Amino acid sequence: MTRMEADVVPAAPAKPRELGPPIVEICNVEKRFGSNHVLRDVSLTVRRGEVVVIAGRSGSGKSTLLRCIDHLETIEGGTIHACGELMGYRQDSMGKKTELSDRRVARQRRNMGMVFQSFNLFPHLNVLRNITISPVKIMGEDPARAEAHARELLERVGLPDKAEAYPSQLSGGQQQRVAIARALAMRPQVMLFDEPTSALDPEMISEVLDVMIDLSRQGMTMIVVTHEMGFARAAADRVLMMADGVIVEDAPPEEFFTNPQSEHTRLFLSKIL
Amino acid sequence: MSWSWDHFMRFLFSDYMLHGVWTTIWLSIVAMVLGCSLGVVVAFMKMSKTWILRQIANAYIWVWRGTPLLVQMVIIYTVLPKVGIRLGVVESAIVALSLHEAAYFAEIVRSGVLSVNRGQKDASRALGMTWAQRMRYVIIPQATRVIIPPLGNQFNLMIKTTSLASVISMEELFRRTQQLAQLEFKVLEAYMCAACWYLLMTTVWGLIQKQLEAHYDKPFGPVSDSSEKKSDPVLSGQAAQV
Ligand SMILES: Nc1ncnc2c1ncn2[C@@H]1O[C@H](COP(=O)(O)OP(=O)(O)OP(=O)(O)O)[C@@H](O)[C@H]1O
Ligand SMILES: [Mg+2]
Repeated sequence: MTRMEADVVPAAPAKPRELGPPIVEICNVEKRFGSNHVLRDVSLTVRRGEVVVIAGRSGSGKSTLLRCIDHLETIEGGTIHACGELMGYRQDSMGKKTELSDRRVARQRRNMGMVFQSFNLFPHLNVLRNITISPVKIMGEDPARAEAHARELLERVGLPDKAEAYPSQLSGGQQQRVAIARALAMRPQVMLFDEPTSALDPEMISEVLDVMIDLSRQGMTMIVVTHEMGFARAAADRVLMMADGVIVEDAPPEEFFTNPQSEHTRLFLSKIL
Repeated sequence: MSWSWDHFMRFLFSDYMLHGVWTTIWLSIVAMVLGCSLGVVVAFMKMSKTWILRQIANAYIWVWRGTPLLVQMVIIYTVLPKVGIRLGVVESAIVALSLHEAAYFAEIVRSGVLSVNRGQKDASRALGMTWAQRMRYVIIPQATRVIIPPLGNQFNLMIKTTSLASVISMEELFRRTQQLAQLEFKVLEAYMCAACWYLLMTTVWGLIQKQLEAHYDKPFGPVSDSSEKKSDPVLSGQAAQV
């Protein structure tokens, strides 16, 4: 693990960046699965252009938090605003929330791209169709334009010659880069990554992280659940620690690594570094 | 009573018999098409988020799979007229066979849809697809591979099951065979003749099914080094014995 991080770290410039207005605002979110209280009063604001890394033990609620932002999960309390909209709900004057229709939520999700641990490419479509299906069939983009854009994105993720390949013919690292290109094809304002490298063989991790670092340099707003602290050092503006559904640490990388406030963070760092 | 090739050959290609064969063919196709269409509806009702729709689907499947088709057919033909729904022989046969098929096909469709990896749903939702778009572009194309083989078996069954429509005097292959047998007192010849025709129909369908399965069972994309294709347990079993 440390060897991989060493590969990633050197390119890191000190990066105080221009951050825009808040683009994702999570306020007092509560989430339960039955009796399992997974998110407890979670609040988090992410500004345009910011890169936020979330770490935490298995089961601490990282994936759930990410999925709630995209409204892949409902929430029991609190609100999530993304790209200027209340995600997944309509709120009446009394503050009571009703879930939006499938179509309305689908539209909201188009502002965000999501990348999963298990890639989830569509196995029945080739790479090009994987990337263009949403722009063309969902957004009604002109097919030729969408294809040109897709090829541009493939270039960006370093796979210009894989347009015609099927997912089953690609390595894990290549599949994940295609998944990133597919998410970017929607021209999202925010990118959500859920452990994008955890399912990869060690030698493929850096090819995916490089793409993500590149993306962060181009000013993309990113929320990244990962344990790759090399990436956090290289690209993050803030690193968060989650434990039992609570954000227990929220600090710039230098502070997170050198002067952690939470016992959870100290324990985590002692294990990983 | 001795076997008469003469009668057998005469029965086999008699217009009377051929008509029965043709009726069996179209009855099977019509009942299959209607039954599968309804089956898809029932399957999606069963997977719906709405409690009442799920319960209706469950009840439907429970009743139609839990009672003999023969009983259903007689009820539809003889009891429904008493409550004011009068269906002819042909309509009754089609309705009974379709409703029955739907109950089985619903479960086939449901397991096909459920066989698609959960991650596919997440990914398509995250890409901003609505339910209908997810189904159309992502789920159904992948579920089809799983659905095709049992669908083929259902059609094979359907060809044979249409013979039950003879009890409500539908003039399909089996009924015509019965009548020929009684008319000429050549029972064995007549039924052997029917067996031959059923066998021919199911065999032809078997060949078509094989083509379909071969088409849909191809790995997605051109075949490469993929060692992931599952080996046939029967074949590998034989290989082990050799
Ligand atoms: N769909 C679900 N139904 C029921 N419980 C769930 C569901 N998804 C997650 N959970 C539970 O919620 C808790 C948080 O899960 P979550 O996946 O968010 O954790 P995580 O921090 O992402 O962990 P990991 O590092 O293992 O991915 C766990 O206890 C998990 O069992
Ligand atoms: Mg997770």
